[in-house]
Amino acid sequence: MSVLEVKDLHVSIEGKEILKGVDLTMKTNEIHAIMGPNGTGKSTLAAAIMGHPSFEVTQGEVLLDGVNVLELAVDERARAGLFLAVQYPSEIAGVTNAEFMRAAINARREDDDKISVLKFIKKLDEKMSILDMPEEMAERYLNEGFSGGEKKRNEILQLLMIEPTFAILDEIDSGLDIDALQVVSKGVNAMRGEGFGALIITHYQRLLNYITPDVVHIMMDGRVVKTGGAELAKRLEEEGYKGLSEELGLQITIEE
Amino acid sequence: MEVKTNQFGVYTQALQNFSSRKQEPEWMLQLRLDALEKIEALELPVIERVKYNRWPLVVAPQLKAEQPALAAPIAKWVKDDPEAVRVVQTGNQTVVEQLPEHLKEKGVIFTDIFTALQTVPELVQEAYMQQAVKVDENKMTAFHTAFMTSGLFLYVPKNVVVSEPFEAIFIQNSEVTDSFMKHVLVLAETHSQFSYVEKYVTAGNEKNAANIIVEVIAKPGSKVKFSAVDQLGVQTTTYFNRRGHLEKDATIDWAIGVMNEGNVIADFDSDLVGDGSHSEFKAVSISTGSQIQGIDTRVTNYGRHSVGHILQHGVILDRATLTFNGIGHILKGGVGADAQQESRILMLSDKARGDANPILLIDENDVTAGHAASVGRVDPEQMYYLMSRGISKEEAERLVIRGFLGAVISAIPIKASRQELIDTIERKLSHDSE
Repeated sequence: MSVLEVKDLHVSIEGKEILKGVDLTMKTNEIHAIMGPNGTGKSTLAAAIMGHPSFEVTQGEVLLDGVNVLELAVDERARAGLFLAVQYPSEIAGVTNAEFMRAAINARREDDDKISVLKFIKKLDEKMSILDMPEEMAERYLNEGFSGGEKKRNEILQLLMIEPTFAILDEIDSGLDIDALQVVSKGVNAMRGEGFGALIITHYQRLLNYITPDVVHIMMDGRVVKTGGAELAKRLEEEGYKGLSEELGLQITIEE
Repeated sequence: MEVKTNQFGVYTQALQNFSSRKQEPEWMLQLRLDALEKIEALELPVIERVKYNRWPLVVAPQLKAEQPALAAPIAKWVKDDPEAVRVVQTGNQTVVEQLPEHLKEKGVIFTDIFTALQTVPELVQEAYMQQAVKVDENKMTAFHTAFMTSGLFLYVPKNVVVSEPFEAIFIQNSEVTDSFMKHVLVLAETHSQFSYVEKYVTAGNEKNAANIIVEVIAKPGSKVKFSAVDQLGVQTTTYFNRRGHLEKDATIDWAIGVMNEGNVIADFDSDLVGDGSHSEFKAVSISTGSQIQGIDTRVTNYGRHSVGHILQHGVILDRATLTFNGIGHILKGGVGADAQQESRILMLSDKARGDANPILLIDENDVTAGHAASVGRVDPEQMYYLMSRGISKEEAERLVIRGFLGAVISAIPIKASRQELIDTIERKLSHDSE
């Protein structure tokens, strides 16, 4: 079992504090969801854990099995077991999807233990069929000219290929139609199990109809303000963030 | 030795001897001697934003005797393949000529330039320094004409379509001190179609000048795919001129990897003389160490509805310099012509110097033209994204760069040459830290 702990995390961007002390603990074999109004720091949390260069951690730590990943470079964090799926991944012309994924897999393996082309292709075919992705997607340039839905499927494909210990999915559901949402959920559910934990960031409860979370965290104004079970997401759907912030006595302006 | 001006006259006798030893036709000797007289008065070609007037380029070759044979085995650069349609030259000597019988029967000629001067002098005379490049364009072209000491002639007759690519491998002999004066003449007759791939490498470490002129004469309706991987050595200072002369409805697709290690000025031009002629020019380049590579790429639209496109991508490391000048020139009368260009440079070091200059000269109204140019660094978002998948910084950088240079790689018709360009790129990128 692995544990990911976020402790008193403070993060700024261009001098403005976005995260004001986030605490959160998750284990493998668990799916956590983070919900919250726009502009509340959910994506900042994801980016700071992964190590995006624009975000400055001013306080706190992120421990993966006791190791502070904030002291690691981005690629080291990934090789330690972290994965972040984003809504708007970079486009890289001239590098095929397949070539990229093979490089990512091999980055985790010793020089004398690189994945064979045959094994790689077999795995890729298998994972792409789970996600209803046409074969030609493998030979297209990484995210170049992909539609929003294709990009998100491709993020999940990478998740399935790389098989990280902890995946953070940052608003992977926005802009997806129901069919795509089901496919993406199928991908994440396929990963569920002993060696895997996920942190799903979403604005809407909708995705959680397909991926049932074990734990739901509500974030407001740069902090986790409430943690509960799957029923918390349902309650939010009915009452909205406003009701919850009133209950908690928070002075927060909600931009819905 | 470096030649000072007004000293070229002393080479008259040596050139006469050389020409006679090569059994050149009289007109060829005359062409040389006329050019010799002009060198002194002509100016060096202008390559915008590149100062090279002090480079040791105008160095006369050894004309006295045959160059000694290359000591190094050619296997390092040439993988034996009896099926290949191939010419290999080491220094001034042709060491391999492979042309299948069925192509000979169709009248295809693929041979040493001196052999061609003896066997088909009229074909050479019609085109050599006459249509594409002119003798008196500048000091370098005149110098080349006077002192050319080795070369290749490729002739594809009317309506002949060749599916196998013609492959030329030129190994500069820098085991000796001698200027590399190479001429490649490609003559594509009316409605012929073929592809040609050339490669330049250097054996040995002597400091030498190289002066290379490649002329491609594309007669009406011909289609030529031209690709090249230039890998001349660090001790070689090079003047490179590749020029296409395109007649009515002719097409040349260029894909050039400018991967030399030494200082280079290059002029890659397409003269769209005929109506409906079409040139697609793609180049990639990497400058490393302290080398300077300055590349002028020009397309001149004379013909109506002629199309000239330029796409060049370059990467600079260390303290190196890379300059791309893209020149699109539409002349009066080029009605309906199209001139487009894109030059992009990625700088991987703070000390690198890069320049991408689009130059559009348009003398006709009813045309389309456009340009894009940029000099920048690797996108940190791209690096972050790749690294967030566990890929190391070095590997991520290599992927981004290879992707950036990919447009040309995919345009090369021979798989082995494509791989060679990829390997060359990897090699140039791997010793980036000085």
